[in-house]
Amino acid sequence: MAKSMSVIELDDVVKRYQSGEETIEALKYVDFSAERGEMVTVIGPSGSGKSTMLNMIGLLDNPTEGSIRLDGRDVTDFTEDELTEERRTGIGFVFQDFHLLPMLTATENVELPSMWDTSVDRHDRAVELLRRVGLGDRLEHTPGQLSGGQQQRVAIARSLINEPDILLADEPTGNLDQDTGETILTELTRLKEDENVAIVSVTHDEQMLDYTDSTVRIVDGVIQEVSRE
Amino acid sequence: MAWRNLGRNKLRTALAALGIIIGVVAICSLGMATVALQQQASSQLGDIGNDVTVSSGQDSDTDGVTQDQIDEIQNLVTDDQVVPQKTNSTTLEARNGEEARMSVTGVTEASALYNLTTGEAPDRLQSGALISNDTANTLGLEMGDPVEYDGQFYRVQGFIESEQSFGPRGGGELVIPVSGLSNQEYYDTVTIVASDGDAATEIGERLDNQFNTEETEELSIQASSGAQNVGGFLDTLSTALLGIGGISLVVAGVAILNVMLMSTVERRGEIGVLRAVGIRRIEVLRMILTEAALMGALGGLVGVILSLGTGMLAFQMLTGNAMGALDWSSSKYLVYGFGFAVLASVLSGVYPAWKAANDRPVEALRG
Ligand SMILES: Nc1ncnc2c1ncn2[C@@H]1O[C@H](COP(=O)(O)OP(=O)(O)O)[C@@H](O)[C@H]1O
Ligand SMILES: [Mg+2]
Repeated sequence: MAKSMSVIELDDVVKRYQSGEETIEALKYVDFSAERGEMVTVIGPSGSGKSTMLNMIGLLDNPTEGSIRLDGRDVTDFTEDELTEERRTGIGFVFQDFHLLPMLTATENVELPSMWDTSVDRHDRAVELLRRVGLGDRLEHTPGQLSGGQQQRVAIARSLINEPDILLADEPTGNLDQDTGETILTELTRLKEDENVAIVSVTHDEQMLDYTDSTVRIVDGVIQEVSRE
Repeated sequence: MAWRNLGRNKLRTALAALGIIIGVVAICSLGMATVALQQQASSQLGDIGNDVTVSSGQDSDTDGVTQDQIDEIQNLVTDDQVVPQKTNSTTLEARNGEEARMSVTGVTEASALYNLTTGEAPDRLQSGALISNDTANTLGLEMGDPVEYDGQFYRVQGFIESEQSFGPRGGGELVIPVSGLSNQEYYDTVTIVASDGDAATEIGERLDNQFNTEETEELSIQASSGAQNVGGFLDTLSTALLGIGGISLVVAGVAILNVMLMSTVERRGEIGVLRAVGIRRIEVLRMILTEAALMGALGGLVGVILSLGTGMLAFQMLTGNAMGALDWSSSKYLVYGFGFAVLASVLSGVYPAWKAANDRPVEALRG
């Protein structure tokens, strides 16, 4: 049994995609959980269902079967608008190709998730997060003026703006060279403790395993092995 | 935010704006040109145009229009001038031996019917006479010379412009006070000077209803048909021009729709990110619609400025008064054009915006 309550839990989750006549079973009865302050790495070959699993955890898509619990609440059958609300308040995303908005400055990109929300002003937090990822002197730069590693650090700052419980990273180092990748991983490790956030990251890069607290290996939509350090 | 999105793809925005501008210019300048054309036409044709001529009808007992009937007409037509006339004909003989046959009109409100070569016809002709310019030349008459009709002498007070022969009053004409024809009890014609062709038609119908029935014609009423035909032609013309404008609008609308669709397809991933980080569907929708409205307003503004220029040019050329374009009758097309631009942009933003907002974020992120 986990020492504290899992912030996210997948229970017997199946995800099937229908493409034409063919049905692809991307996830086959997957169980998974993560806790605050923990970094879980999902590793597996390309096409094994890692991204699909991350989308389930990130409430970007509904599972075909099984259930998802967020902070102990069953969110399996939430509507798109309810899921949006959960993502808005509790989940942060880091993508392989950063996905920053090119016309916004670093600070504005970090503020983006709360930009439509007039009830909070996250500007100060955005600046503080950018300082913490080492971009205090790049606040007004646009993504085009930043290197790949710097852009990914902006993306990490953005994922933390809403003080999430879970930070999801899909191949966060996939587009970065080895050294830059390591800096990003160090950054994530530090933030997971500072922010007490559960980090689930997906990779096919063994380098990440040096930083992780537990590893989930997935092949063909089936979880093969879970190892804890 | 929306503003900057537009700034980002300048070419795309410029193309969309161009579509809008063409649409706006099409509707505005065609509309304004039509107004200019109408103004020019009615100022040129104004004189022949807008009269209603009343005379005694087939079934009348009297040989002319009675004073009672004129009073009744006066009561029906309160806004426009009612001008009763008695007519006859005479032959004038000049001192040089020339003779000229001409019609004689007895009328008080001379200014309503006649333009003089010099000066103005009197509002109330009490003494003196007006005579056609041509006739006066033939007879060698000058200002102040006496002319005789029915034993009475009148001094020539002015010369009537001869090109007025376009209307019903043509040829040589002598105009004297109505008292000069007092031996005629009834009036031969009554002219009602209406403000425009439509008003003339309307007055004509009103009088017809009042005096005549299906079977009996007490008064013969003619609203001058020349102006009506011209007016009808102008209506057809402006409908045709507005039709062309309408087609341009549809074309412009389709262009805007296309650009909005391309723009959302291109930004699919970006919108997916917005949705993933918790931006609500309604917020995405509003963002795209705001962009569309901004683009419409931008294109509309440029279009309106260009159209104002074209409109003023049209007015300058057709009526000689460029400022006429600023009059509401013509400048309202600028407002329509601008309204169209914003409306068409927002409308053509609705579908792409709705599509973008309802795209599942996963799908969008997969690219
Ligand atoms: N939206 C989708 N429609 C159809 N098939 C999909 C979709 N998303 C993923 N798949 C399929 O599911 C399987 C797992 O994909 P994915 O989770 O992206 O793998 P990974 O991230 O491990 O490379 C693949 O076979 C992929 O083609
Ligand atoms: Mg993947």
